[in-house]
Amino acid sequence: MKHTTRLLDIVERSLRGPLMDEEDFNDQHVTQGLARVVKEFDIKVSQDQIVNQDDALADRVWEAAVDFLSECGVYCQTTNRVIEFSKKEIIDILRYAPDTVIVGQGTDAVQEYARKIDDPRRPLLMGSSIGTPIEDEYFIPSMISYIQEPEVDVTMAPTLTNIYGYDIRTRSPLEILSSWREVELTLEAMRRAGRPGMAFTGIGSSISDVGQLSADGPGGLRQTDLHTFGIVSELKTSYEILNKLTHILQRDGVVDPYANPIYGGLGGGMDGQAVLITAAMIALNVVFMATCVGTSPTHPFNFNDTGKELLIPSGLSFQAIARNSKLMSNLTNTPVGGPGTKTLLYECIALTVMMTVSGGSRILGPRSATGSITGHFSGLEARFTGELLTAAAKLDRAKAEEIVQKAYAKYEADLTTQPYGKHFKDVYDLKTVQPTKEWQTMYDEVKNEAAGWGLSFD
Amino acid sequence: MAEQDKLITNLSSALKNGETDEAKQMTQKALDQGLEPLAIIEEILVPALTEIGEKFQKFEIFLPELMMAGEAAEAMTAIVEKATLEAGQPSLNKGTVILGQVEGDMHDIGRNIVGTLLKSHGFKVVDMGRDVPASAFLDAAEKEEADIIALSALMTTTLPAQKRTINLFSEVRKREEFFIVVGGGAVSEEWAKEIGSDGYSVDAAGAVELCKSLMKK
Repeated sequence: MKHTTRLLDIVERSLRGPLMDEEDFNDQHVTQGLARVVKEFDIKVSQDQIVNQDDALADRVWEAAVDFLSECGVYCQTTNRVIEFSKKEIIDILRYAPDTVIVGQGTDAVQEYARKIDDPRRPLLMGSSIGTPIEDEYFIPSMISYIQEPEVDVTMAPTLTNIYGYDIRTRSPLEILSSWREVELTLEAMRRAGRPGMAFTGIGSSISDVGQLSADGPGGLRQTDLHTFGIVSELKTSYEILNKLTHILQRDGVVDPYANPIYGGLGGGMDGQAVLITAAMIALNVVFMATCVGTSPTHPFNFNDTGKELLIPSGLSFQAIARNSKLMSNLTNTPVGGPGTKTLLYECIALTVMMTVSGGSRILGPRSATGSITGHFSGLEARFTGELLTAAAKLDRAKAEEIVQKAYAKYEADLTTQPYGKHFKDVYDLKTVQPTKEWQTMYDEVKNEAAGWGLSFD
Repeated sequence: MAEQDKLITNLSSALKNGETDEAKQMTQKALDQGLEPLAIIEEILVPALTEIGEKFQKFEIFLPELMMAGEAAEAMTAIVEKATLEAGQPSLNKGTVILGQVEGDMHDIGRNIVGTLLKSHGFKVVDMGRDVPASAFLDAAEKEEADIIALSALMTTTLPAQKRTINLFSEVRKREEFFIVVGGGAVSEEWAKEIGSDGYSVDAAGAVELCKSLMKK
């Protein structure tokens, strides 16, 4: 196993690093550390311009993030110690980061690759509601609505609301059963949609290590799928998380973790947030040996990432990574709008275009209606996202900024009213698994409007 | 009078800036000068922290500043509460809230925001942390003689643990003794009603108002 030496090194550091109270880590390492580098590296993020046009600023964000991470480290909640890496170690490790990976099987396999700013190659699309709850009877049709779209490259399941009639309970037999059920249903949906080899991300239903590990193996999550786990905000881990990593490495699986900094939290405003998102994604590779690094920065009140306060630092962070490393980065689109609303489609335009020109490798979602409203998602928004990826890859940052601002103006007022839209069953014909006329018309209208702004869907 | 006005202004500033030591000293000074404990809370602490809370909602300040102000407020409240009890007056505590992430949920930051704002508004908050089993909420509720149990879930996969926790209170016939409220990114109003909670708030400021309204019942 190629990563055993590194894994043992991480474990060693988690056992021997400086002992520290978690509150002190939050305050002294994260908050004060970010404030220091924001000042030292002169990080002043535009309050209005969504797509960063300043390469020097992106480079300073990168330098600040490496400096910050080398001083801050990652906190292990199990041992109450800080896993530390020096600046030299971080840079050395990043040199060996993979810059491409093939996921999926057979003719459904796709290649992900590190992208650069204004890269003409289209990023991948993980078309999915990303764990949004859905009733059993709609689980497979809703998944098919994504998988059947040619624009969708990889997928992920929604969340089961129960398992065989029982509420799912963490670290219990019910969690293990639900993990297996999620895999079984996902494989079945892919088979029915005619894309059995498509890679999927798992295991969403499982929170604990025991749940994830159980269904990650023969008959379950495949080696060629995307093996995910989240780290704890901000910059924290535990042995439960490292257990998941160890198992994925033992399986030689694709390590696809994520870190979701909270806006307005320990990282403060947009300046600190840009550095924190970048540092967290670097940490995913350095500490968690990620093949691909992901983020879904979160608004603390609206739970989306399509407001300016998150679009701006996210884009800057992706540019910092694209200009200074070969990391394959991915961003989750979490809009407030749900199916049957134009808000959702405008939000898709802003975030997708911003991420594409900023050098991201893969977009995830859309996790419509913030991913918290049962059944409020559909494959049509994923189709639109895929089309946007292709169109946006033809743009440069200047044109992208123009388009993103137009889209943003269309939905800004809706961010607080949160139009969650309709349930899947109300926007799709369940027999044909096609959008209703009303939802299709809405999509056509917004697509035509976006074409008028300069997005070429040809 | 001018000196007292200046003291009030300075105490309010110390609170807003999260200067705990200064806030403590000035609180004691205000009590020594004869300011009524209730007046200190209602005329200095509540307006200052309401302003801080509003600034946080507008992202004019961020969590670290909010928490610093919360710590200063907590220290100030402790001094005022002690003086109140020593004077034989009833406690100023607006209510005791047991707050925690339900079993399986490993998040902290949103709960910290809610806890800080609740403390700032005069509630005693017992923060149980993350990944809290249902039985631990029940034990804490009884031990602390709580008024409100606040269950947070940021992940859709941990929502059932909110329901399970409420069910446990019902099963042991303790449900009617406490208000149980739910919140967090994964929670919707519909879910809050479905599982029989006593209330739901979409954000931290709303959680404070919810708890205040429940305490009036």
